[in-house]
Amino acid sequence: MASQVIALVVNDEEREFIAKPGTSLLSGLRDSLGLTAAKRGCAQGGCGACTVLVDGKAVLSCLLAVETINGATVRTLEGVAADGQLDEVQSAFLDGFATQCGFCTPGMIMAAEALLDRNPDPGEDEVAEAISGNHCRCTGYRPIMNAIVDAARRRREARAAAGAPARVSEEVA
Amino acid sequence: MVVEAVHVPDSLAEATAQAARGGHVMAGGTAVMPLVNYGIVPGPELVSLRRTGLAGIEVGDGTARIGATTTFSEVADSPGLSVFRPAVATIASPVIRNMATVGGNLLTDPPGDFATCLLALDATCEVAGAGGSRDVPVAEVIDSGLRPGELLTAVVVRLPAGANWFYRKVTRRRMNSGAIMTIAATVETAGGLVTTARIALGGLAPRPVRAASAERALAGRPLVPDVVMEAGEAARADVTPADDPFASAWYRNRVLPVHLRRALLG
Repeated sequence: MASQVIALVVNDEEREFIAKPGTSLLSGLRDSLGLTAAKRGCAQGGCGACTVLVDGKAVLSCLLAVETINGATVRTLEGVAADGQLDEVQSAFLDGFATQCGFCTPGMIMAAEALLDRNPDPGEDEVAEAISGNHCRCTGYRPIMNAIVDAARRRREARAAAGAPARVSEEVA
Repeated sequence: MVVEAVHVPDSLAEATAQAARGGHVMAGGTAVMPLVNYGIVPGPELVSLRRTGLAGIEVGDGTARIGATTTFSEVADSPGLSVFRPAVATIASPVIRNMATVGGNLLTDPPGDFATCLLALDATCEVAGAGGSRDVPVAEVIDSGLRPGELLTAVVVRLPAGANWFYRKVTRRRMNSGAIMTIAATVETAGGLVTTARIALGGLAPRPVRAASAERALAGRPLVPDVVMEAGEAARADVTPADDPFASAWYRNRVLPVHLRRALLG
């Protein structure tokens, strides 16, 4: 079968690209759309560096064939600070020195975003579980876990100050 | 070999036809796509089950029917399947659990921890092929797989009472680790004596196996440490452990009784 046009809503924009059969979402994002935040680490689902949100769920973009998610909504790290303003997770990572080489950071942040969407006040165990599929070879994880707990607190405070509900899902309901 | 086509059929009938023509079936992609990424293509044509409508959970009358492409996150979020939550939490990471499916866990080589649970529960697999559908005991699917061109559509399982259900996965890390061994069991007692015991062991043979010798050793006896240790020693006859990066075969044999005791008695 020939290559196929794939249409996705990526970071709120409709995007199209041509993909050979079996192209991964990660390749589509990086090589066709120029969105290089998601990283190609192990290419087998073990490292989490390619984590993005597809239809609101954290998934490994290297394990999704693009044909199977044609039409889906994708959010990458580039879409988190779309207006040029770092969000709570990003600023907590920055302030807490939760990045060193930075290779795992995009995946860590997207895994953290997915956690905070479901659970605005996670305990340490829940944070550890949320990033248990994301490898970091620099930090020893401690600063990352602290940053995610800190980000949750910042987001709760920001939402409370704005009089908004703490969970995105409550807004929808 | 390169992938020449990825089919994403909208119906089971179409998926079955494509599988019958030799398409390699995938659901969540967590087993097949690593091969594709490394150029070890399992077949020139892949058939994704993502749009076949096979996902979904029905619970009623103490029984659950779990669609083959139901993800582990969906299992974990299902109020009716809460008995499986501790087991599901031991399978990979939350991100993988958003993708990996119950059917995939059963049909990958080796079958995974949830397959071990299904084996302990004598689950039934609903299988569809060109000639119609059939029900197959999960043990048969684990041992011999499906026939060419067949698709797993669902597993049907009698839900255990929490007090009779035991699960323990022994790992090197607390989360997201392969198994040194996985123990899943249902044990029922009456008057303090074991009436039925079904024990499945993962990580101790090329595929999950029933520990028939341990089950016999428990029958009619009290569920106390000495008896369970004896059953665990008997279970060595049921397993053929191997060396792997998690543990040696020797270690697995050595600690099997201890972990069976911890699984059943805490």
